[in-house]
Amino acid sequence: MLSKEEFINYTKEGKILARKCTRCGHLHLVTTYFCQNCGNKGFENTVIDGKGTIVTYTIITVPPEGFEKYVPYAWVVMKVDNSELSISGFMGGIKSPADLPLGTKAKIVDHDERGIVIEKQ
Amino acid sequence: MEKVCVIGAGSTKYGKLADSITDIALQASVDAIESAGIEPKEIQAGYISNVFGIADKQVHLGPVIMSDLGIPEVPSLSIESACGSGSISFREAFANVAAGFYDVVLATGVEKVTHTGTEWTTTYFSYCSDFFYEGGAGASFPGLFASMARAYLAEYKATEEDLAMVAVKNHDNGMLNPKAHLRKKITVDDVLKSAVVASPLKLYDCCPFSDGASSVILCSEKFAKAHSKNYIQVIGSGRGGSPAALQGRQHITEIPSTKIASQAAYKMAGITPKDIDFAEVHDCFTIAELVDSEDLGFFEKGKAVQGVREGRTRLNGDIPINPSGGLKSKGHPIGATGIGQVAEVFDQLTGKAGERTVKDAQIGLTHNFGATGASCAVHIFKSV
Ligand SMILES: CC(C)(COP(=O)(O)OP(=O)(O)OC[C@H]1O[C@@H](n2cnc3c(N)ncnc32)[C@H](O)[C@@H]1OP(=O)(O)O)[C@@H](O)C(=O)NCCC(=O)NCCS
Repeated sequence: MLSKEEFINYTKEGKILARKCTRCGHLHLVTTYFCQNCGNKGFENTVIDGKGTIVTYTIITVPPEGFEKYVPYAWVVMKVDNSELSISGFMGGIKSPADLPLGTKAKIVDHDERGIVIEKQ
Repeated sequence: MEKVCVIGAGSTKYGKLADSITDIALQASVDAIESAGIEPKEIQAGYISNVFGIADKQVHLGPVIMSDLGIPEVPSLSIESACGSGSISFREAFANVAAGFYDVVLATGVEKVTHTGTEWTTTYFSYCSDFFYEGGAGASFPGLFASMARAYLAEYKATEEDLAMVAVKNHDNGMLNPKAHLRKKITVDDVLKSAVVASPLKLYDCCPFSDGASSVILCSEKFAKAHSKNYIQVIGSGRGGSPAALQGRQHITEIPSTKIASQAAYKMAGITPKDIDFAEVHDCFTIAELVDSEDLGFFEKGKAVQGVREGRTRLNGDIPINPSGGLKSKGHPIGATGIGQVAEVFDQLTGKAGERTVKDAQIGLTHNFGATGASCAVHIFKSV
């Protein structure tokens, strides 16, 4: 059985545990059971460096429960270098758009009560 | 397939309501039954859409509503598909009548959340996202759409003023709708000066949290012809899906499920976007209306902004969008919204929309999705 646990352990090392389809090579984040591209059930685990560029984000001022103490913070979408994958997560310390131009280089650094934690490189 | 018609519609006012979730669901249902001119005993099934019944201590709403309508023996289905619950429930109702299982059915949507406060609602709504990557990493719903907005503004050289114009237009329409939640005329400046909720979206870019209920009666064409002179026909119905998380989408400025659902609905109706006289679309945030009106085929990608600047989507424009005021001004009681859109099309096409009537309209479209468009339903209606 697949679980998020293993995936989370890799994010703590700054890595992404991806699943590569053994038939068409399409990459997925770890909990996919069937290939979204070709429907195949065979995968091999691939560990990717959790680095990339920020493609979009928001700065949250009205947060959900548990995030009050971090306001303002960003929630970002990062395109992973050398792959078709994007991954999203929490980025602290962002107060205004001037702090984070689109295209900024970033990396996964952790996973904790804030979910996947991403920082600027 | 049987032809399916809508013969009655009812809605409560949308806003902060004092009555309970079952009270408001029943008020809308009784309105719809009376508007259809039928007896409850003629209803053969109920489709009841709702997301957070838990907030008012009532889930499994179907049997409660059927019992209080005096028809406890009639089967019901209680449906949750986030903000798209209403239209997705309508689709199930449509499909069952079209398949010939039932002649007459009730579809009621309801939501009652405003008493829970901003934090509860922001938090619980975030459970509708792909929580591990989104809500669980601090993304609120305004935040997810704000991320779409930032990408859209950058890609198509649009501005926050352009987004604001969508809100201004929908508030203008909402002023003409006695049942709207936010009946207040606003200016572009008001929007730009309102408090930031999730940058670049501000308070007036967002729909409000609303309570409310809407209900419609669907039936076979045979039943409609025998019982009513004032009804509309469902000529197209389509559904679609998208990757649950924004990160899984090839283009963050498009919603795949809208394209899939609308193409299926246009095909069933045998028409193109040009044939649509007006549309009620899912404008949970100003950015969503721009993205929707492109994905539905009213504008090319990136051109909806131009359409808004030229006033083409206003009530007197060539493709009026959200004559009701939309989610932005009419309000967004999430389980009811998709049914409320059908109620608006019913009112528009049967001469009951008063001052906000779209002139000479014969074909109306509804578009409603769940979460960031992970699930979606589109319906097309024609006056008879
Ligand atoms: C923007 C938001 C955070 C405001 O929070 P809220 O709890 O509704 O705000 P309040 O009830 O405290 O309202 C404060 C004031 O702002 C007004 N207001 C609230 N939301 C508004 C909105 N979206 N647009 C304009 N005015 C609004 C209220 O009428 C109230 O005015 P008043 O003091 O004159 O009565 C909240 O409405 C929101 O998150 N909206 C998005 C809902 C959503 O995500 N839906 C799902 C979409 S997929």
